[in-house]
Amino acid sequence: MKKISLEFGVMMTAVVLAAMLGVVWLAATYRENGSRAILLPDRVMTLFPDPRPLTAFAFTDHENRVFDLSRLKGKWSFLFFGYTHCPDICPTTLATLARAHENIVKSAVGAKDVQFVFISVDPNRDTASKLGQYVTYFDTTFLGVTGDNSQLGNLAGQLGAAYEVAITPGVENYPVYHTAAVFLVDPRARYHAVFAPPLDAEGISRRFKVLRELEGPKAT
Amino acid sequence: MRWRHPVLVGLMLALNPIAAATEEAGVSVRDAWVRETPPGVAMMAGYMVLQNNTSRSQVLVAARSSGFEIVMIHRTIVKEGLTGMEHAPKIEILPNASLIFAPGGYHLMLMNPKRTLRAGDPVVINLEFRGGLVLPVAFEVRK
Repeated sequence: MKKISLEFGVMMTAVVLAAMLGVVWLAATYRENGSRAILLPDRVMTLFPDPRPLTAFAFTDHENRVFDLSRLKGKWSFLFFGYTHCPDICPTTLATLARAHENIVKSAVGAKDVQFVFISVDPNRDTASKLGQYVTYFDTTFLGVTGDNSQLGNLAGQLGAAYEVAITPGVENYPVYHTAAVFLVDPRARYHAVFAPPLDAEGISRRFKVLRELEGPKAT
Repeated sequence: MRWRHPVLVGLMLALNPIAAATEEAGVSVRDAWVRETPPGVAMMAGYMVLQNNTSRSQVLVAARSSGFEIVMIHRTIVKEGLTGMEHAPKIEILPNASLIFAPGGYHLMLMNPKRTLRAGDPVVINLEFRGGLVLPVAFEVRK
């Protein structure tokens, strides 16, 4: 009797385990196929149900062209705040974004409607030519932009980002603090989503491709 | 190894006994690498996995390299939503534990390299521990 119940127990455990695996498998399949499922709020991307239109700002890009609100229109823009004297988080993020861009390029729709913009919060050290050398090293299509403090504060404020540049006279390597999230602005120049660190290329590109498919016609 | 890199071969041969010495000392390092930087950037970061194989804590107190003007132990931190760096004057590695230096966390901040470092180049950084132990570690520059 005891032996039978033990066997029964083992069998039941196996059945339950198989059922659990089945559920996991179904969930994974649903995730892959059901676009909406993948866009449920998660720790990688926060999606705004009612994207907020950005208002005027003025920067200069690494080719000394004006980079203002109009440059955000007609394209999905990934924005990242940083500075070139940043040894760890900025190069790490730009390398990740370069891989995310590669993934988007390989998608059926491609990446013609996508741009990546590195916004330097350290215009004191980051000249246009330095910015150009810096961003294009990671990806030749990347843009580097910067502006004066009021313009940087303006756009940062609209995105809920912040930064602090602790310029110290005589100190070559003063510290800079900045929001490390990646902001996604849609082709109507609306703040549409934000990717929170730690960032990974697949996490970003996969969600973006789904978002673009869902929002594409509405967003442009 | 191609004949074009006699220096590299020499360095690699020279580093072999170092690896052995490291094991004996009770602290080992693996996956030591430095991220290649865009041209003109004099600020690099070094990453590694430090393993304490001894039954007592080991304290990393400094890092130095003839390849850079300044080497500092740093940690990327997030404070009130802002990401920045702080200097870590010392780091304790618990007995039989490992400590990971990785992007977004602990890293060796490497300022003003003496020569341009490109992917594939080796660079030696000496890790200094409390009690006088100095470990020369070969870092590989990676893209």
